[in-house]
Amino acid sequence: MGRGRRILMLLLSAVLTLAVSWADSEELGGNFSLTDHNNRPFELHQLKGKLVLLFFGYTYCPDICPTELANLSAVLNALDDQAERVQGLFVSLDPGRDTPAVLHDYVRHFNRGLVGLAGSEEEVAQVARQYRVDYRRHEKEDGGYSIDHSVNLYLIDSQGALSAVVPYGLPPQHLLETVRGLLAEMADKDSPS
Amino acid sequence: MYRLLLTSLLLAVTPFSMVTAAQLPDTAPGYGKLGYPLPEIGSYALPSLGRAANGEIIDSRGQRQSLHDIFSDRYVLLAFIYSTCSDVNGCPLSSHVFYKIKSAMKRDAELADRLKMVSLSFDPENDTPEVMRLYSNNFRYAGKAGEWQFITTASQQQLQPILRAYNQVIQREVDSKGNPVVGFSHVLRVFLIDPDKAIRNIYSVDFLHHELIINDLKTLLRQETVQGRMSKTAVELDEPARLSKPGDDKQGYEEESYVTRSLDLESRRGEAADLLGIANSPPLGLPPIPVPADNPLTREKIELGRRLFFDRRLSLNDTFSCAMCHVPEQGFTSNELAMAVGIEGRSVRRNSPTVYNSAYASLLFHDGREESLEQQVWGPLLARNEMANPSVGYVLQKIRDIDDYDGRFEAAFDGRGVSMETLGMAIASYQRTLVSANSAFDRWRYGGDKQALSATARRGFDLFVGKAGCASCHRISDDHALFTDNDLHNTGIGYRESMGIVPEKQPILVAPGVVLEVDRAVIEQVGEPPPTDVGRYEVTQNPNDRWKYKTPSLRNVALTAPYMHNGSLGTLREVVDFYDRGGVSNELLDPLIRPLGLSETEKEDLVAFLQSLTGGNVDTLVADAFAAPVGDVGKGDPSWVHGTEVEVR
Ligand code: HEC
Ligand code: HEC
Repeated sequence: MGRGRRILMLLLSAVLTLAVSWADSEELGGNFSLTDHNNRPFELHQLKGKLVLLFFGYTYCPDICPTELANLSAVLNALDDQAERVQGLFVSLDPGRDTPAVLHDYVRHFNRGLVGLAGSEEEVAQVARQYRVDYRRHEKEDGGYSIDHSVNLYLIDSQGALSAVVPYGLPPQHLLETVRGLLAEMADKDSPS
Repeated sequence: MYRLLLTSLLLAVTPFSMVTAAQLPDTAPGYGKLGYPLPEIGSYALPSLGRAANGEIIDSRGQRQSLHDIFSDRYVLLAFIYSTCSDVNGCPLSSHVFYKIKSAMKRDAELADRLKMVSLSFDPENDTPEVMRLYSNNFRYAGKAGEWQFITTASQQQLQPILRAYNQVIQREVDSKGNPVVGFSHVLRVFLIDPDKAIRNIYSVDFLHHELIINDLKTLLRQETVQGRMSKTAVELDEPARLSKPGDDKQGYEEESYVTRSLDLESRRGEAADLLGIANSPPLGLPPIPVPADNPLTREKIELGRRLFFDRRLSLNDTFSCAMCHVPEQGFTSNELAMAVGIEGRSVRRNSPTVYNSAYASLLFHDGREESLEQQVWGPLLARNEMANPSVGYVLQKIRDIDDYDGRFEAAFDGRGVSMETLGMAIASYQRTLVSANSAFDRWRYGGDKQALSATARRGFDLFVGKAGCASCHRISDDHALFTDNDLHNTGIGYRESMGIVPEKQPILVAPGVVLEVDRAVIEQVGEPPPTDVGRYEVTQNPNDRWKYKTPSLRNVALTAPYMHNGSLGTLREVVDFYDRGGVSNELLDPLIRPLGLSETEKEDLVAFLQSLTGGNVDTLVADAFAAPVGDVGKGDPSWVHGTEVEVR
């Protein structure tokens, strides 16, 4: 493994680091504004009342993002009639290459219900900061680059508050149970008493 | 993580549409079925693999706690994780396996009752309590039965000792240019810990499977009932000493999250105790106290002695009381000084011993040069580097001039005023009441409470009186224990110091959190030359007495660090290591000190035993000390500057 890593590092020569640092005091989560994959302005606020599954990545991402998106899609499909109470979001950390049009094709490849979100370098950095997403750009020798990033899934409740962080790699069944649990709680909370 | 990156590289040349499989290949067995049959429950042994260290953590509500408090008295599964970990066979694996166990707890009350799961973050910068709470939220739906806690630490300062103790090597991943990449590299290990804080199994990726863990736990539970022991832990034994803690050592001071560990004034609220009552019937494990016929204990004398003990005016410049070296909440010694520092910062060449149980000491001071508490007080009062009074007469005159003491000596001593004798008798009377026992050990040994001592401490006791031979000097009798032979021995500590056997470099804290390794030569340029100290020889002039020091009692030893006459050993573990190596060899080394060949577990057991000697009444005695008046210069007091009255300050 050590060897593999070294070889890898010869191939990737990192030049630019999008160092992400945040003030500890800044609150976790919250509203943000980006552009959706149909080129329309998007705000998290719009999704009030829904359970949001927020995920960060980029379309050139070789395996983690597709895996996670496939899982997410599997979960959305398994929710059947509950699916409309849930919205999956994919925020691109690669403003340079992921235009709304690129995102449109990409996310819909996985699931028609998913929405891809793009923004400027600053806008994306801001959202990443809010959700404590760590990402750095690594330049490759051939002139291309990859984006190394942390890959948690963020669950946001019907009031727009961050309510759980799901690590990457757990079986889809786990995510499904969590989503169902949160939906049940939301139903209790949101129903007028 | 790198495995993923490598795969990434291979996959980069294939269109992503080909990799929409929901799981990556070669995931650990923990995600699937166990590939082999489990051994029968109870058919195998899980010996202790060492002690599960303690440490300071913060829970997901932001409360500071000790790791052992979190463990409580249950079996514990402990995993080290960080919330943004994306190595499928790393942190998420441990979380997945824990989730499986938590789900199993719904159906298995014994499991839910006896096992607790703890995930500890090793990324305190990112994993704040808030993040840990959110992370834990997605595991809520495994069912309500059982407990799974997500904790973190305040800073690297708190984290690093824990990682070291659990042998967890965590590195920030870097690329070939040394730039950090996202994530850490670490080797997954999950610890199964029993209620006595012994590690009973360590699971690596290939063995981390919920069925195997449950099997191990059931095996331990089965064996526990076979041996008929209910696990009761050492944790609650620490409780009598809630008030005894060193001041703030400023660990983690450079971090934003730093919170002082100084005792707040709230908990300093004093409460006077019935000291005479305590002295007249000492707690379990101690014999009646010897009291000189000419100085019987009375309430008035004790109360007067207590007043004097805390009076700063008893020093030349009205600043230094006995209690400033024998600090009540620091075990009546100074936890933060190897060797004492007296008036105006003057160095004292020895460590302040505790005055707990000094009532029983027939030899006082490290070299045993004094034999009665009544006499002893004049040592510090007159030492130029302690309280620095120029003469006995000076002290007596000063006390006569202080209004606070008007009539008090006369009341306590049948009309006799302050004199060399009465002053000694009063302070001695107070010190004599500071008897402390009824520790876990005493309740077990003399109180017939079989549960009072943890299994580790009991094994430590066996070593103490057996293989390690400690009890030949630190004596334990049939009906009481003083843990001293009231004699002097050469253990080599003094020899080592006299010979200047010291490491080439020494770590020096230059600012909170900043430690430099400084060359001996540099230190010697600025420091005072080490004081000479040849121990008992100084008293007897007998060359065979060189480097002999008094055997101290070990009661409350957990509260009285640092150790030995020069405070050269910082922890009980260091003391045990010292004895295990056979002390420091020299021509006069006591024959009882020899290499012991203790195993790691045996050393831990011995330490656990030493920790079980904290008296059950120390909080009472400390709270009583907090209630004592602290004598300070006021209007009308004599001023040491002009010999006239002090002006109002
Ligand atoms: C500057 C710090 C300092 C002050 C102030 C101080 N002591 Fe001590 N005390 C020590 C040290 C150091 C020793 C050990 C000295 C030695 O062995 O040579 C000691 C030893 C003792 C002992 C002997 C304990 C034993 O088990 O051998 C007693 C009792 C004691 N002090 C009581 C007092 C009293 C009472 C006062 C106030 C009158 C006082 N001390 C003031 C530092 C101090
Ligand atoms: C030969 C007699 C002897 C034996 C055997 C012995 N000790 Fe000691 N112990 C001493 C003496 C003397 C000191 C004080 C040394 C000094 O001040 O430099 C001491 C100091 C200590 C201290 C420090 C106490 C303090 O308050 O500073 C501890 C703890 C201790 N011993 C534990 C043990 C243990 C555990 C063993 C068995 C492994 C042991 N001792 C065996 C004589 C002995």
